Amino acid sequence: MSGDYRPAPVDTPELNDAAGQPSAGARGRRAPAALSEDSRLAVEIRGLVERGEMDDARDRFGALVAMHQRRASRIAYQYLRDASDADEAVQDAFVRVFSHIGTYREAWPFDVWFTRILINGCLDRQKTRNRRDRWFTTTDVSSADEARAASASVASDPEHRLLARERRAKMAAAIDRLDGRQRTVFMLCHYGDCTPREISAMTGLNESTVRVHLFRAVRKLRGLLGGQP
Amino acid sequence: MHRAPHVHDDLLLDAYLAEHRGDAMDPPVADHLADCAACGGRYVELAALMDDLRREGETDADAIFTPERLRAQQQQIARRIEHVGRPARVISFPSRIVRRTIGASASRTPPRWIAAAAAAGLFVGVAVGASYEWSGRRVPAAAFARDTSVRPSPAAVRGSTADDVNDTAFLLDLELALERPHTRELQAFDALTPHVREVRDQR
Repeated sequence: MSGDYRPAPVDTPELNDAAGQPSAGARGRRAPAALSEDSRLAVEIRGLVERGEMDDARDRFGALVAMHQRRASRIAYQYLRDASDADEAVQDAFVRVFSHIGTYREAWPFDVWFTRILINGCLDRQKTRNRRDRWFTTTDVSSADEARAASASVASDPEHRLLARERRAKMAAAIDRLDGRQRTVFMLCHYGDCTPREISAMTGLNESTVRVHLFRAVRKLRGLLGGQP
Repeated sequence: MHRAPHVHDDLLLDAYLAEHRGDAMDPPVADHLADCAACGGRYVELAALMDDLRREGETDADAIFTPERLRAQQQQIARRIEHVGRPARVISFPSRIVRRTIGASASRTPPRWIAAAAAAGLFVGVAVGASYEWSGRRVPAAAFARDTSVRPSPAAVRGSTADDVNDTAFLLDLELALERPHTRELQAFDALTPHVREVRDQR
C-alpha cells in the first residue's frame, strides 16, 4: 500500500469507551439495532469466558470462525496478495479476537470489530514485508498461488485461462495503485461487503470522508482499467 | 421542457452500492436513470466494472482458499486458542526433566555385565601396559651396564698419543671454561662430557 493508513486500534475509546458505548463522534452515526447472529454469538462467548467455561467458549467460537472465515480470507488476500500471509493474518485475527473477547461491546456489530482487528493485522504484516523486501531480493511469492488459482479456474480453455489471469493481474495492479485510505475503503466496501457507515466505524473516518475515498478510488480504477475516468 | 442535469458519479456509485446491498435506490436517481439513456449507460458501465472487480477478486481468493484449506485453517485456529485462558505451564527444571531423561535412557542402556566387562578390560589393559613399560625400562639399563663394563673405550683401543694429547687439551679447556664465572650455559655440555680425571682414571 502506498500510504500507511491504519484504522484506529481495536480498543480505542471511540468504539469501546468505559461504558461500552460508542463515543460522541460515533454515536450519531449508528442507532443501536437488534443484534446480528454473530454479535449475539460473540456476547455469548464473552459470557462463557467470563464465567470461566473455556471449553464451551472454544466450541462456540468455532461457529463464529466458520461464519467469518471466508470473508476474512478474501479481505486478507486482497490486502496482502499472498496466500500464506493472508492465512496467518486471518488466524492471528481470530486468536486475537478470542483472547480479547472480554473487551467486545455489543454496541457495534461483531464483524466491524473483527474486521478492524483483521485490517490492523494485515497492515502490520505488510509493513513487516516491506521492511524485509528492502533488504532481501523479492521473489514472486504469489506465483504459486496464482498458478493454483489459474488451474482452479472454471475455464478449461488455456486461452481463456490466460486472458482471465491477465485480467486479474491488471485489476490487482490497478487496486495496488490506490493510495492507502482509498484502498482500504475500497476493499472493505467491495470485498468485505461493508457499508460506508460500517467502514466509518472500522476506520474512524467520517462517513462522508469514506464516501469521498470510495468515489475517488472507483474513479481512479476506471481510469486505470481503461474505462472513463 | 426542462430536463434534469445528469447524475453525478458519486450518486451513481451510491446507487450501485444500494442496489448491490439490496436496498432501494434513491427515487430521483432511479427515475433519472430510467429516463436518461446517457446516465443509464454510465450506470451500466460502472456496474459492469464494479461487478468485474468483485467477481475477479472473489474468484481469485476462493480458488486459493478452498474448503479444505479453510477447514485446515479452522483447525489451526482451534489449536491455537486451546492455550488461551489457561494458566501458563511452569516447567520444573531440571529435576523432572533429568528424571525423565534418566528413565528414558535406562530403558535403552545395555546390561550391566557389558559395563563391568569394559571396566575389567580397561583395568587389565592398563596393568599389562604398565608392567610392559616397567620391564622395558629395566632391560636396557642392565644391558647398558653390561656393555660399558665389557667394551673398552675407543681411545684405549686406538692408543694414539697425539689424539690423546689433543683430547686432553680440549677437555682441560672445557674444565677451565666451566670454572670461570657466567658459564652456566656450558653446564649442559659439562654433564655430557667425561672429565679429564675420569679419562685418566680409566687409563
